Amino acid sequence: MIDRILLAEILDEALKKGGDFAEIYIEEKVSTSVYCEEDRIEKINSGREKGAGIRILAGGRTSYVYTNDLSRNGLLKAAQVAGHAARSHQAEARAPIELNLKAGPDPIHWRRLPEDVLFDEKIEHVLAANRAARELGEEIKQVTVGVGDHHKSVLIANSDGELIEDDRVRMRFLVSTVAERHGVIQTGYESAGGVTGWELLDDISPVDMAHKAGKLAIKMLDAQPAPLGRMPVVMSAEAGGTMVHEACGHGLEADLVQKGLSVYRNKMGTQVASPLVSVIDDATLQGKYGSMRFDDEGTPGQKTILIDQGQLVGYMYDRLTASKDQLASTGNGRRESYQHKPIPRMTNTIIAAGEDDPEGIIRSTNQGLLVKKMGGGQVNTTNGDFVFEIQEGYLIENGEIGAPVRGATLTGNGPQVLASIDRVGRDLGYAIGTCGKDGQGVPVADAQPTIRIKELTVGGTAHDEDKPAIYRIRRK
Amino acid sequence: MKGSLQERLTRLGQEVLDQANRLGVDAEVFLLHNRELSIEVSDGQVETLKEAEEMGLGLRVIKDNRLGFAFTSDFSPQALQDVVQDAVSICSFTSPDQFQALPSGPKSYPSLQVFDPTISQTTMEEKIELARQAERATRQYDRRISVIERAGYEDSEFHSLILNSRGIKAYAQGNFCGTYVFAVAEEEGDAQTGFSMSIKQSLTDLDPLAVGQEAAHNAIRSLHARSAPSGRVPCIMEPYVATRFLGMIAQMVDAEAIQRNKSLFRGRLGQRVGSPVLSLVDDGTYPGGIGSFPFDSEGVPSQRTQLIREGQLVAYLYDTYTANRDKTTSTGNGRRSSFRGLPSVGSTNFMLEPGTLTLEELMNDIPYGFYITEVMGMHTANPISGEFSVGAAGLLIEKGRLSTPVRGVTIAGNIIQLLEQVEAVGSDLRFFGGRGAPSLRIRSLSLGGD
Repeated sequence: MIDRILLAEILDEALKKGGDFAEIYIEEKVSTSVYCEEDRIEKINSGREKGAGIRILAGGRTSYVYTNDLSRNGLLKAAQVAGHAARSHQAEARAPIELNLKAGPDPIHWRRLPEDVLFDEKIEHVLAANRAARELGEEIKQVTVGVGDHHKSVLIANSDGELIEDDRVRMRFLVSTVAERHGVIQTGYESAGGVTGWELLDDISPVDMAHKAGKLAIKMLDAQPAPLGRMPVVMSAEAGGTMVHEACGHGLEADLVQKGLSVYRNKMGTQVASPLVSVIDDATLQGKYGSMRFDDEGTPGQKTILIDQGQLVGYMYDRLTASKDQLASTGNGRRESYQHKPIPRMTNTIIAAGEDDPEGIIRSTNQGLLVKKMGGGQVNTTNGDFVFEIQEGYLIENGEIGAPVRGATLTGNGPQVLASIDRVGRDLGYAIGTCGKDGQGVPVADAQPTIRIKELTVGGTAHDEDKPAIYRIRRK
Repeated sequence: MKGSLQERLTRLGQEVLDQANRLGVDAEVFLLHNRELSIEVSDGQVETLKEAEEMGLGLRVIKDNRLGFAFTSDFSPQALQDVVQDAVSICSFTSPDQFQALPSGPKSYPSLQVFDPTISQTTMEEKIELARQAERATRQYDRRISVIERAGYEDSEFHSLILNSRGIKAYAQGNFCGTYVFAVAEEEGDAQTGFSMSIKQSLTDLDPLAVGQEAAHNAIRSLHARSAPSGRVPCIMEPYVATRFLGMIAQMVDAEAIQRNKSLFRGRLGQRVGSPVLSLVDDGTYPGGIGSFPFDSEGVPSQRTQLIREGQLVAYLYDTYTANRDKTTSTGNGRRSSFRGLPSVGSTNFMLEPGTLTLEELMNDIPYGFYITEVMGMHTANPISGEFSVGAAGLLIEKGRLSTPVRGVTIAGNIIQLLEQVEAVGSDLRFFGGRGAPSLRIRSLSLGGD
């Protein structure tokens, strides 16, 4: 891409007028997407992007400049602009920066790169899923199928002399359906994705996804409105981890903690959840949607224990927040693209599996609600109140799975809910999504075993999406 | 410098258009050059300063009624060739659609004041000071202001070029600026947030003091809010709340939603859809509006489109594609959020026209009611069925005056009924981004509380 001598020159330029740390992040990305709607291939998009972001930290200040002019002059000019904004009066002369390639986890071997798969084949999979969902019957009124992939080359260099090269491939396949009967409309969806090439489809069948999404929409036509009130809630593993993402994930991101915007601030070392609950953020899992070799500051991806048997033991840090707490980054510095500065973000966030038999958890629940699939959610980290939608839910009656229910949202308070988890299954299920924070969306996965919460409020209104302390995850 | 950027964009655009034309397709080049500045301050110090410069190209091609699209921000000769190849080859995979077409030109465009040179001439230090002023004004407003979550200044300058095989040639530059504050007020263990923002086309219209004071005011007036009794009560919506509902209405007048049977306004053209005090306009030429620009993202001239006149639905918003489908002409509402995507129907300056009453006059004969300052979970409202049930906060109205603060209540209903129930509109038209509304008085609305 760009040779290391020029990179060093740019970093030297950036720090000429002062500053503690300079970094350049360069990205080249090729992406494609195919969408089928109204029973036809409606949109195909193909894009090429490249750009660079230069960041300087000076005292508590951050200056960030981005450009897609990657010529020598363009980059030097961007470094000057950033340097000017970060200038200090007592700039000291520094030794020239020398860059050395940083070792990290082994490169990932991609078996089918997006650019090696022809549009014909991508379209074939999309159409197959579209047909499969429509063949489920006349009640299926709308089917949307989409697939998106990208291949990114990332280069990061910083004034600590680190040079990181990374090659990243991601893809995602999604099916969403609308079913209607006598004016009642219900929806269903399925998505799958990961840090992977098209070999993803060796394990996942678009037709199966379409069947699941379509059958769910049809099944929910028979659902009754969810009961309102406080009741025991069992979340099955296949429901994925929206709950952990909202109930504690965001509140454990160090920037929110340091700004005083997290209900988990000043709680390090204390019991914040039931002893049955351990929460981990793990970027090192192979092929998951939030996995990465290096984060977007060049720190190797890590497995970080956040809550250990109910005790708060760690927050998620990027470089800047780690330095404020005099700790090392946990490899959670992520950004949506070169247009954004990195901030602490989740990767794959998991409630660790326990020992209970998942079916036994349901059998031992007299009355309550079983959540089989969660939708999106959001949290107000300042007070810990969160809400998320239920895509697929059932009544539990005398330990048996009963009638399906629809239209339910669950509301709760993070610390209270985590404290009231009384059963933890030995299974584990994942979901993928795009997590939004400070105007940046990043791909994440989350997971949990089958768990039971003693009491949770079913019903209630979602919070205001415009408020600053609210972070949302989208599942579609 | 401005001349040279325009020349560079034109040269690049023409080159890509020529390449596409040689392959025998109808093509449209959309080129955008964008500069952005954002400054965030904390305790008078700059916390984050961000400057951005970006240029990108989106190429739309149509071949045998099939649509192809590709984009790039890489302007190397190879990348430009690839983008043309990609867009053209994509045409062989998309389904044919007889209504796909590009607008024909040349067109003449309205001359609008959408570029304020003082924004780019103002120094960084002066802009930082604007953000500081907003933050200071918030703190100084009241001792109960405990945290300023964020306070900042932003501006953006963009140059847009559209060329197509059918003779469209459009170029213009625009800019705007804004300040915002998110504040927290605390008293006796209760903490409430308040925010305010102002986006203006001209720097001299920006009033950081007013923004800071309003954010503080909004946080403080919510302190110690409690629930309120359930029932049907007269309501007044603040302009901000009214613009949130306009978001829902914007989806209902979108011709694409009409054509796909996703709008309650389908088949209602010429009929009464709301109270006679309601008049709704989309105006891409509105003086000072941040949605104003000489042309839309397809190069169709911007215009003023009356959508609802005294309660009667008189028009929908169209881009070129939806206009073809309805055998009519585009209203200049083909919009795109960036060069990375295709145009689709979108609003410009979308506003409810103001009346003549002051807020006091709207309120003074309400013995008991609800003054709504905030709605929560608006994204759960369903624009297809018109149903909404959203969280709300505000103040009670007692004997024609504002009294105690309220939170944790819901308001529910159907948008069609809501439009019927508007019995008066205020004179206080105010814009939040591209949507503007005055205060609205609603005869009665279902309030869910204790």
